[in-house]
Amino acid sequence: MTYIERDGGTTRDELVQRVALMEEMIAEGRQSTARYGWMFVLWGLTYFAAIAWTVYLPYTEWAWPACIAACSVVFGIVRSRQSCVEGQIDNLRRHSLDAVWQVIGGGIILYLIAVIASGHGKEPEYLAAVLFFNGLANGVSARILRWWPQGVAAAIWWGCGTTMLLFTTRTEILTLFLMATFFGMIVFGLYAMMLENHMSSMVPGEQQ
Amino acid sequence: MTDYESENGTTRDELVQRVALMEEMIAEGRASTARWGWVFVMWGLIYFAAMAWVIFLPFKDWAWPVCVAFGIVVSVIKGRRTRNTGKNQRSRSLEAVWQIFSAGITLYVIGANASGHGTQPAYYAAIFFFIGIAHGISARILRWGAQGLAAAVWWAGGIAMFFFTMRNEILAIFLIAAFFGMIVFGLYAMMLERRRAAEMVQAHA
Repeated sequence: MTYIERDGGTTRDELVQRVALMEEMIAEGRQSTARYGWMFVLWGLTYFAAIAWTVYLPYTEWAWPACIAACSVVFGIVRSRQSCVEGQIDNLRRHSLDAVWQVIGGGIILYLIAVIASGHGKEPEYLAAVLFFNGLANGVSARILRWWPQGVAAAIWWGCGTTMLLFTTRTEILTLFLMATFFGMIVFGLYAMMLENHMSSMVPGEQQ
Repeated sequence: MTDYESENGTTRDELVQRVALMEEMIAEGRASTARWGWVFVMWGLIYFAAMAWVIFLPFKDWAWPVCVAFGIVVSVIKGRRTRNTGKNQRSRSLEAVWQIFSAGITLYVIGANASGHGTQPAYYAAIFFFIGIAHGISARILRWGAQGLAAAVWWAGGIAMFFFTMRNEILAIFLIAAFFGMIVFGLYAMMLERRRAAEMVQAHA
């Protein structure tokens, strides 16, 4: 096939350019997720803090709202500073990933509000669903970025979510939730941060 | 800013080309979802069929597994024929969203039913939210208000599930969500696809 041959109205050159652009976008998207590794760690630690408050401190009903509000504030400040310093990487894959996390984040919040408002917060299906939400976000990201470590994070969330439907005592639920948070969020976030450090320490030519 | 000026190593020309490519991909992605409109209609009808079986026919335990298995087989067979036409980054992302969500919902349903939790409001609501989120992500990626409406229908149904927990109420909410969020949306997508195909034929003529 020569460079001027056409396949479905597209020349070989155009196809090669498209593939190159897509590969560049995958790399940018993966790097961008690695740059946001701190978010996973931050949210993981927030979950731990909220659970510790629930178990050991008074005013337990304030634990989750207060921790999530504090985390959201820190998250907003750090993210806006990061955007100012580094500029926005904007490509199709990034846009898709933003859509995935924003819509799932919105969905979880709406689900939690409905659960609490209707008094169904003690059913195990509810907590299992929250774990599944996290697994779905990681799973879709992993599939879009073709990044298996994030696929492992998704599998951890799903595995713990499924197990939670079978083991329903308070201690078991707590243990499963903490395990999923630790491995699926904190460890994955630290791995992403390590990757980002590694990439930023490489000279630009070596990054490919 | 001239064509030779660059920002972060990217020239204006390159940016314009990228934006044009992205816009083209959005249009292609939306056309691709419209091409898959039949899937939404089919799944909406499958939900109705399964519900009808549960209410009116014997062997109720088999209603959902049989209907869902049928839906999966038809989706896979017919999907293979549709798949090879017009695939880009955006449609690949959408494919990822729907595949992962299908797998997640299946796993959740199997887990909940195997453990005997398949009758609680939080379980039904979670399924509604999962489907709503898949529509919501697609709508956000494609910047498509119609699919955003479908997402809103599923989410509203999910919220309603927590407050209306009688069998008939759950059934009514499910059928309303399946009708508007799946069948009507699917028919609308199919209508768009038909109109687009007619315009293409006219343009060629």
